[in-house]
Amino acid sequence: MHARIRLTAEDKAVNVFVIVVTVLALLATFYPIYYLLVYSLNDPIDAASGGLYWFPRKFTLENYEYVFKNDHLLGSFLITAARTALGTLTGVLFTALGAYALSKDRLALRKVYSIVGLVTMYFSGGLIPSYLLYQRLHLLDTFWVYIVPALFSIYNALLFMAFFRQLPSELEESAKVDGAGDFYIFARLVLPLSKPVLATVSLFVAVNHWNDWFSSAYFVSNQNLWTLPTIIVRMLSDNSIMDNMKNMSPGMRMDPLSTLLAIKYATLIVTILPIAAVYPFIQKYFVQGMMVGAIKA
Amino acid sequence: MKDAFRRRKRRGGSGLGTFRSQLTLQLMVLPCMAFLLIFAYVPIAGNVIAFQDFNLSGGFFGSRFIGLAHFREMFSDPSFYMAMRNTVILSLLNMLIVFPAPLLFALIVNEIPILRFKKIVQTSSYLPNFISFAMVASMWIFLLDPKGMVNQSLMLLHLTKHPIEFWTEPGLFRPLSVVIGIWKGVGWGAIIYLAAISGINPDLYEAAKMDGAGRIKRIFYITLPNLIPLFSILFILNVGTLFSGNLDQSVLLGNSFNKETSYVIEYYSLQMGLELTRYSYATAVSFFQSVMAIVLVLIANWFSGKVSGNRLF
Repeated sequence: MHARIRLTAEDKAVNVFVIVVTVLALLATFYPIYYLLVYSLNDPIDAASGGLYWFPRKFTLENYEYVFKNDHLLGSFLITAARTALGTLTGVLFTALGAYALSKDRLALRKVYSIVGLVTMYFSGGLIPSYLLYQRLHLLDTFWVYIVPALFSIYNALLFMAFFRQLPSELEESAKVDGAGDFYIFARLVLPLSKPVLATVSLFVAVNHWNDWFSSAYFVSNQNLWTLPTIIVRMLSDNSIMDNMKNMSPGMRMDPLSTLLAIKYATLIVTILPIAAVYPFIQKYFVQGMMVGAIKA
Repeated sequence: MKDAFRRRKRRGGSGLGTFRSQLTLQLMVLPCMAFLLIFAYVPIAGNVIAFQDFNLSGGFFGSRFIGLAHFREMFSDPSFYMAMRNTVILSLLNMLIVFPAPLLFALIVNEIPILRFKKIVQTSSYLPNFISFAMVASMWIFLLDPKGMVNQSLMLLHLTKHPIEFWTEPGLFRPLSVVIGIWKGVGWGAIIYLAAISGINPDLYEAAKMDGAGRIKRIFYITLPNLIPLFSILFILNVGTLFSGNLDQSVLLGNSFNKETSYVIEYYSLQMGLELTRYSYATAVSFFQSVMAIVLVLIANWFSGKVSGNRLF
C-alpha cells in the first residue's frame, strides 16, 4: 500500500482531509492542558487581563510555590501515593495468586470457582448494599476502604489466567521433579516470567487508585484521609484556598480572586502532570491489556 | 470469556484426597473466593432491603418486609421522573454520538499516510482516558467559565457579545456532556477498531484497487463492513446502559442551575441513600435500574440476532 505510485486526486483529497482533522484533534486534546500550564506559570494579576494563549507573559513560579505550601494538598498527595502503592501491590498479588491456581486444570472444584467468579461479572450489588457492608466491617472512614474492596478483580484475574496458560507446562513439571511446591513455583518461576502481564495489570490498578475521587467523597468523612482528586473537587468548588491566604506573598494578596484562579490552574497541573509524564513510557502496556481483555470478551 | 475458564481435560478428579494433595493451590484460590463471597455476593443479597423497611439496628434479618412500597413511592415522585428523563436522554445522545465516534475516528486515523504521525496521533489520543474525571471536569469548568479561555476567544473573534453561561444554562448541559464524553473517550475507544482494521485481509484492498475502487470506496466497501460485527456486539452491550447515567458527569459537572438537565438516576439514588440515609429506598431505585438493564440487553441481543445475525449470546 505504501508503494511509490502516483497519487490520484482522490488520494490527495483524502490525505489532506485526514491530516487536517487529526491535527485539530491533537490540538483539542492537548491545548486545554497546555493553556492551564501557561496560565499557571504567569503572574496571576497580569493573567487576569486576558489575551494569554501560547506563552507566559510574566513568568512566575509563585502559584506553584503556594500549591506546595498548602498542607491539605501535601497531606492528600501523600495519602494518594500511599494508597496507590499499597493498593497496587496487594491488589495485583492477591489477584495473581488466585488466578494462578485457577489457571491449573488439575485444581479440584475449579468449575465451582469459575462460576462463582463469572456471576460477579454480570451482577453487582450496587452502591448502598456495599456501603452498608463496609459499615458493618468497620471499613468506613478508614484508609482500608481504599485497599480492601479493591484486592481482587475478576477482569484482572482473566488477564493473568490468559497469560499463565501460555507458559510452557514443562517448566512446572521439571520444577516438580526437583521437589518444588506450588507456591515456590509461582513465586520463583512464574512471577519473574510474567513481567508483561504484571506491568499491564499493575498500571490499570494503579491508575484506578490514583484517579478515584468517589471513595473518599462518600466512604470517608475525615478530610485528612481524602485523596487528591477528591480534595481538588472540593478545593475548586469552594473557596477554601482563601482560608490559606496567609501563605500568599504580599503581591498575590492584592488581588485574591485572580490569584485564586491561577492557583487552581496550578493545582490541576500538579495533579495531571504525574500521569502525563509517565504516560509515553507506559501506554503500550495499557493497549496490551486492553487487547487481551477485548479478545477474551 | 467463558473460554478462559473452560476445563480442557478433566484430570485428577475432585475428591477430598485430591483437595488435600493440592492444599497450596487451594490456599491460593480460597482467599479470592472468600473475597468474592463477601464483597460481591453479600451486596447482591443485600438488595433484599429494597423490599424492606430497613434500619441499621434491625439489619438485613431484623427489618420488616413491606413489599413494593418503595417502588410505588418511586413512581409517584416527580424528582424520580426528572432524573429518569435526563438519564434516558443523555444515554441516547451517548449512544448516537459518543459511542460511534471512536469508529469514525479509527477510520480517519487509519487513513493517515505518514506512519510516524499516525502513531503519534494514536498514542496521544488516549491520554485523556487516564486523567481522573475529577480533573477533567474541573478543567472544563474553568475553560468554559464566563471569564475562561473559551469565552475570551469567542468574544475576541466577535462570535458572541456577552460571555456564554455554559454551566448555568440548563439547555447547554447535554451538548457539553457529549463534547466532554468524546474528548475523554474517543481515542481509547478507537483502539479496538484499529486493531480490528489491522486484522482485515490486505488482499481485499489489493483486489479492490485492481477493480478501480478509490480510497473512499475502499473505506465504505471494505473497512467499514468489516467493522460492523464488532460494532454490533459493542452496541448491544451499550444498550444495557440506557437507564444508567454517568454519575461522574452528573455530580462533577452538575450544579443547582443545570439540575433540570444534569440530574440522573444514580445521583438521585446516591442522594436518597447516603445524604438522606434512606437506604431501602435508594436500593429500590438501583434495583429497578439493574432489572431494566438486564431486560434491555436481552431485547437488544434478540433484535440484533434477527436483523444482522450478530448475537452476543
